[in-house]
Amino acid sequence: MNAVDIVVAEDSRIQARMLEKVLVDAGHTVRLAEHGGKALELVRERRPDVIISDIEMPEMDGYAFCKAVKTDPELRSVPLILLSTLSDPVDIIRGLDAGADNYVTKPYDPPYLLARMGDLLSTPLDLDTAGEATLDVTLAGQTFQVRAGRQQVLNLLVSTFENAVTKNRELVVVNRDLSLARDELQRSNQELTVLNERISRANAHMTRDLEAAARVQQSLLPDQDVSVPQVDLAWRYVPCTSLAGDFLNVFQLDAEHVGLYVVDVSGHGVPSSLMAVTVGRFLSPKVSDSSLLVRHDGNGGVKVASPSEVAFKLNELFQADEFSGLYFTMLYGVLHVPTGALRYVSAGHTPLAQVSKDGTATLHEISGFPIGFVPEVEFDEESLTLAAGDRIYLYSDGVPEAMNAEREQFGDEAMKRVLSQGRGDALDDTVAALLSTVEAWCVPNGPLDDVSILGLEWGGGA
Amino acid sequence: MTTFRKLNVSKVRDVDVVIFKDSKILDEELLDELRTELLAVVGQRTAPDVLLDFSNVEFMSSAMLGLLGVVHRKMKKADGRLKMCSIRPEIFTVFKLTNLDKLFSIYGDAGEAMKAFE
Repeated sequence: MNAVDIVVAEDSRIQARMLEKVLVDAGHTVRLAEHGGKALELVRERRPDVIISDIEMPEMDGYAFCKAVKTDPELRSVPLILLSTLSDPVDIIRGLDAGADNYVTKPYDPPYLLARMGDLLSTPLDLDTAGEATLDVTLAGQTFQVRAGRQQVLNLLVSTFENAVTKNRELVVVNRDLSLARDELQRSNQELTVLNERISRANAHMTRDLEAAARVQQSLLPDQDVSVPQVDLAWRYVPCTSLAGDFLNVFQLDAEHVGLYVVDVSGHGVPSSLMAVTVGRFLSPKVSDSSLLVRHDGNGGVKVASPSEVAFKLNELFQADEFSGLYFTMLYGVLHVPTGALRYVSAGHTPLAQVSKDGTATLHEISGFPIGFVPEVEFDEESLTLAAGDRIYLYSDGVPEAMNAEREQFGDEAMKRVLSQGRGDALDDTVAALLSTVEAWCVPNGPLDDVSILGLEWGGGA
Repeated sequence: MTTFRKLNVSKVRDVDVVIFKDSKILDEELLDELRTELLAVVGQRTAPDVLLDFSNVEFMSSAMLGLLGVVHRKMKKADGRLKMCSIRPEIFTVFKLTNLDKLFSIYGDAGEAMKAFE
C-alpha cells in the first residue's frame, strides 16, 4: 500500500496516539481530531485518502461526522472506516444510514485494520448509485429506511461479516485456551488436594507425637496416690503450650524423708521439654544408676543425698551447651518427717514460700546460680524447721511474673496474700485458689509461661 | 561493619558497644535472632571488648539469661572482656535471684562501664 494521508477522529488521547503510531509506522501521514467537528474541519481543509472515525465522541459523534462527509459531494468518495464496539445490532443500521464504508471492531489488530484500509483503497467507490436508493431493512423486529449506495452497503456488510468471522475465530481460540486453562486448573486442584491431605496427615502425625511427648512429661509429675503420714500435699501444673519446660514432683525417699522439687527449664516447647524429661530421669526417687537422690547404703537400706550434693551433680551433668543456651532453675528440698526439719537448695529459683498456722507468709530469698551456668560451683544448703501446721510452697516464676494485659506482674505480694488468706482452707483449695487468681490476672491472653505450684503442710511429729 | 536487625553495634575506643533495639525480649524467634547476632559480634577474634547496653529493654524472659551465659562463656574462652550496663531494676532482680549479678560485670550506665574498660 502506498503512503496515504489519513484523518483520525478519536476522543481518547491514548487510543488516538496508539492508532497514530500504527499508521505512521506503516508509512502513512496522520492528522488527529478529538471529535467529529474538528475532523470535518481537517477533511475540508485538505481532502484525505482515508478517514478513520470512532463513534462515541463529544461535540459531533461518528455517525454525524460520517453523514456529513458522505453528503458532501467533494468528500463522499473518501473511504470511511468506523471503529465500533458493535455492542448493539442497531449500530450496523446506523452505520449504513450514515454511509460508512467499513466497520472495524475495537479492540483491533493493527495488521487487520491496515488490511481493511488497503481493501478500501484498492476498490474505488461506485459513486453513481450512492445516495440514490432507499432500502427497507428489518432488524430485530424493527424496520429501518436506509439511504446508501449499493457498493457501500455491500462493502459495509462484507466488512461486518468478515469482522464477525474474525471475532468468531478469536473466540474459538479463546475458548480452546479457556478449556486448556480449565484442565490445568483441575489438575492443579487435584495436586492441591493431594498436598492438603499430605499436610493434614503430617499435622496429625506431629500432633500425635506432641501428645505422646506430653504424656511422657506427665509421667514426671507426682503419683496421684502419693500419700505420706503427717504430710498433706497438693499441686497444680499448667503448661502454656502442649510441652512445658516446667515440672515438679514430690515423693517419699525413705521411711523418714520426703523429697520435693520444682524445676523450670528456660524457654518452652520441644527443646525445653526434652531437657525437662532428661533432667527428670536423674531426679528419680527410685534407686537406680541414674538417680541422684538416693543410693544403696550398703546395708540393704537407702541413703538420701543432700540437696546441695544433688544440685552440684546436676550442675556437672547439665552444663549449657554453646548452641542452645538451655539451663534450668530448681528448688529441691528434703523434709525429715519426724522432726519437720527441711533442708533445701535453690539454683536460681524463685524463693520458697512458708506460711505459718497464723497466716504469716514469708519468702525465703536465697540466691544461687541456675543449673548449667557456671561449672564446679557449690550450692549453699539452707535449712528450716517447720512448726506443726506450717505450709511451704514451691512454684515456678510463671506465678509471680505472670503479666496482665497492661504488662504488670502478678508479684510476690499478691501471691503471699492469696496464700495467707487460704490458710484456713484445705491445702488443695489454697493451691487451686492461687492458680485461679494467676489465671484471672492474665485474662484475656492467659499465662505466657508454664505455671507450677507445689504445696506441702507438715502436720507435726508422729 | 556488618549491619544487624536486632542490635545497634558501634565501635567506641576498641569496645564494641551493643545496644538491644527491642524493648521486649520475650519470644523464642527473637531470642534465636539475638543468639545469631550476638555470637557474630563476639566473632572469632581474640580478646574482644564488648559492652551490652540494656537501656531499651523493658521486659526480658528468663531464657535470655541462658543466651547471656553462652555469650559470657564464649568471651571468656576468647580472653575477652564482657560488661553490661543500664539494666532496669525489675530486670536486675532476676540477675540477683540467679546470682548472675556476681558472675557478670554489671554497671549503672554506659559511662561507668566504658571507664571500667580503660
